[in-house]
Amino acid sequence: MNFTSELRDSYAEVTADGRLNMVAAPQLREFIGNLITDGSPRIVLNLEKTSFMDSSGLGALIGCLKAARQAGGDLRIAGVTPQVRMVLQLTSMDKVLAPYATVEEAFSND
Amino acid sequence: MTEVIASRSFRGTAAEDAIESVHNDLESLWLEVPFVQDIDQMTFTTAVIESASNVVQHAEPAGQAEVELGVDIVVCRTLLQARVSAFHAKPPFGPMEPGTPGKDAESGRGLALIQALVTTVNFERQDSTNTWVLSRTPPH
Repeated sequence: MNFTSELRDSYAEVTADGRLNMVAAPQLREFIGNLITDGSPRIVLNLEKTSFMDSSGLGALIGCLKAARQAGGDLRIAGVTPQVRMVLQLTSMDKVLAPYATVEEAFSND
Repeated sequence: MTEVIASRSFRGTAAEDAIESVHNDLESLWLEVPFVQDIDQMTFTTAVIESASNVVQHAEPAGQAEVELGVDIVVCRTLLQARVSAFHAKPPFGPMEPGTPGKDAESGRGLALIQALVTTVNFERQDSTNTWVLSRTPPH
């Protein structure tokens, strides 16, 4: 899985390209942890190119969400694919990490 | 079981790269069986990867030999079945039934997810091999 980030006006956009499985989950934690450490705790995770997510990937999302909030920011997700949406819904985590349709919408009301 | 239309088998060291291999096997398998609906491909793939990941993450060797992961998948007209095995492994420890992790928990959702995705999950142990048999019966 590949991660890239780009700074926007009030947040950082992280794109995750590939399968968010037990291999990629710790990589995501490290990537987002570094962003937070570098002063960008407001993050939108763009999942348009995330073809797959399992419970390890979901655990990483929750860990990143907690880390962002502890740093005074937030982590939001956008552009989820059907498989990712299914995992979020089956675990009821869509109530904690509500997916936004687009990256731009994620922080539009803040 | 009815006639097997397509199948894949993987066996190798229970390590991270095994998960990518199994996932690649599944993607190539679906190309052979276009009658399997997208929703069934998606749910079954998720269950198999979740189960194989459990082996890689949690299986402990029973002796000197390293734990090996085996994944045998068959597609029949009315059944998707995977046998996910941990060879040379101790019996699984910890809960065999899904727990109810809190919303802040970063683990503990895998078993519940597997059970939600397939029709049946059965566990077998023979010699030093633990096998989870996942079956999904697609709706007609």
